[in-house]
Amino acid sequence: MKIKSDILRTYQNVHTWTGIVAGLFLFIGFFAGSITMFRSAIDDWATPPSYQLPHTDLASIEAALPKVLANYPEAQKELVISFDNTQSPFTWYTQGGGRGLRLDDQTVHATVDEKGEIITHDSTVNELSGLVDMLHRTGGILGEVAGHHMLGEFIMGFAALLYFIALVSGVIFLLPTLTKSFFALRSAKGANRFWLDSHNLVGIASLPFHIIIAFTAVVFAFHDFFYAGLSQVYGDNELFPSDPPNKQVYTLDHLPTLSDYFETAAAYAPGYQVSEIRLSGLSGARANAAISLVNENEVMRGPNTDFIFMHPYTLNIQTSSISSGDQGVWVNAVSTYFALHFGSYGGNFGRWLYFVMGLAGAFLFYTGNLLWLEKRRQKQGKQTKSVQFMAKLTIGVCLGSLLGVISCFALTKWLSMTSLNINHAYMWIYYSCFIGAIVLSFTVGAAKAAISLIKVSIVACLLIPLTSIIALFLPSLSIWPARGVSQVIIELCALLCAFICFRAHQKCVKRFYSGEKNSIWALANQQTPPIEASLTASK
Amino acid sequence: MSDYAGKQQIKLQADWWSKTLAGIFLGLLLSYGLVALFAWFGPDNVNQAISNERALWRVQFNMWLVAPIWMCVLSLVYLFRSGKQAWLKLGFANLVIYGVWMALRSAL
Repeated sequence: MKIKSDILRTYQNVHTWTGIVAGLFLFIGFFAGSITMFRSAIDDWATPPSYQLPHTDLASIEAALPKVLANYPEAQKELVISFDNTQSPFTWYTQGGGRGLRLDDQTVHATVDEKGEIITHDSTVNELSGLVDMLHRTGGILGEVAGHHMLGEFIMGFAALLYFIALVSGVIFLLPTLTKSFFALRSAKGANRFWLDSHNLVGIASLPFHIIIAFTAVVFAFHDFFYAGLSQVYGDNELFPSDPPNKQVYTLDHLPTLSDYFETAAAYAPGYQVSEIRLSGLSGARANAAISLVNENEVMRGPNTDFIFMHPYTLNIQTSSISSGDQGVWVNAVSTYFALHFGSYGGNFGRWLYFVMGLAGAFLFYTGNLLWLEKRRQKQGKQTKSVQFMAKLTIGVCLGSLLGVISCFALTKWLSMTSLNINHAYMWIYYSCFIGAIVLSFTVGAAKAAISLIKVSIVACLLIPLTSIIALFLPSLSIWPARGVSQVIIELCALLCAFICFRAHQKCVKRFYSGEKNSIWALANQQTPPIEASLTASK
Repeated sequence: MSDYAGKQQIKLQADWWSKTLAGIFLGLLLSYGLVALFAWFGPDNVNQAISNERALWRVQFNMWLVAPIWMCVLSLVYLFRSGKQAWLKLGFANLVIYGVWMALRSAL
């Protein structure tokens, strides 16, 4: 395909600059996002098994529900009734609750024994997957703005916007050579060509995925602004018309039984399994029952489930993400956007696919930065300050955030032996790794920092399965081994990660000692700078 | 962003900011204009009596529609010959869209 050369040049510039500005945020967003595909498995893995109380049959749970609500006033605010055998039947917050990452949440877990007695215990909510999710949404930039929004979410939104522009421009300037070079992986033409080819291959092959992620991420970040603009368009028409408030006052005696909820859900959404019922605000005017439904054969709107919202007393369905009501075609479109971002279609296969494509995305931004570094160095014939700076930043941010997350995973079970608040500990571990890596990179240089950081990452990765082995042989310690297939897979992934880090380490060391002398990744450059570089330094 | 690119391509330097800003502002305005037409005159529009539940999902769909149109304009804005062209042509497109919207509304 022929495109005018000035357009190609323009879009090459657009691609480079949007990519460079957004790349590092997106790296964190993508690798953390990949991990969040397995949130519930991670939480099970990281939560001490003693926290979850044994499950029991539906009849006993149903019989216990009025007692739980009557005896524990805090459960009336928000009570989660789970029908998943690995979770406690009842949980409610005594502190915290609501959306987002909160470090001090306390919950009560409750179950019923054979005599119908309620057994409870308090615990801290383990937010390991919450931390990863926060990194995914904000890139780790803390601080709240404009009410409940996090500053990092807006920054991530801007990054996603730039990322979309980078995608379009990348496609435009690749078009003329696309058929020729798409499947070419030219390793014989030098490392640089190899990185370029693999960057293009991954980018084009997962293009639909990337377009969807960029578009949905922009909407997630800026939906409040879009609604504000939309309300101008709507004029006097209300954006969200609502029914007049229900004046009737309900008390707990009016509450239907669990079977009633099940029947209502089954009639509305045949083929779906109820996984959870969340009753909130039972004694107030905004009483709500949210029913989570699972059907692995359907496109689901939430990360793991679909939902029905109903009035908890009248069983009147307010809305649902399943199009059995009067939502028209709109619900399918909107649900699909969510599902396409969350990867919540196709069950576990879909999740693994998103996991792999997400990691490939992180790879795309990392290689993009490497290409920029090499190209500028070759063009300018020397290592300018901007090249050095970007190299240090790339290594510090990418490897630092990776190491931070891996370390949280590696240390979580050991930290349960202490009396520390586990979620505070995660924050300390993550940010010390992240900031430490950047400081290291800027003090010793990108090449040396990369080698040390990868080494520590290998150790941290290996510690994850090692913890399980130690737990098996020394049951007297209060750590616990992996239980069940999904937890074993988490540890196998850590092993695989250790192996990949090991290979990366070998390559880095090789390049460090025998790579191209003028490269930022070479040792020679750091000891005896070539004439050009020393000239720049003396300027 | 513009500084570095400017060094390589002096001809385009003045237009990076101009085109980008045109894409951001006029692109967003254009996007709202198209969504406005769709919201007022498309299926299940604001003039029709529809259930609250349907309206809830329709407005969500409209909100989702704003972003992709805006993002496409923003990423293709660099195809304009100059920043001035971008402002003129996108401005004209906006006038047409909002003009049609106003005209249709007064015809109701």
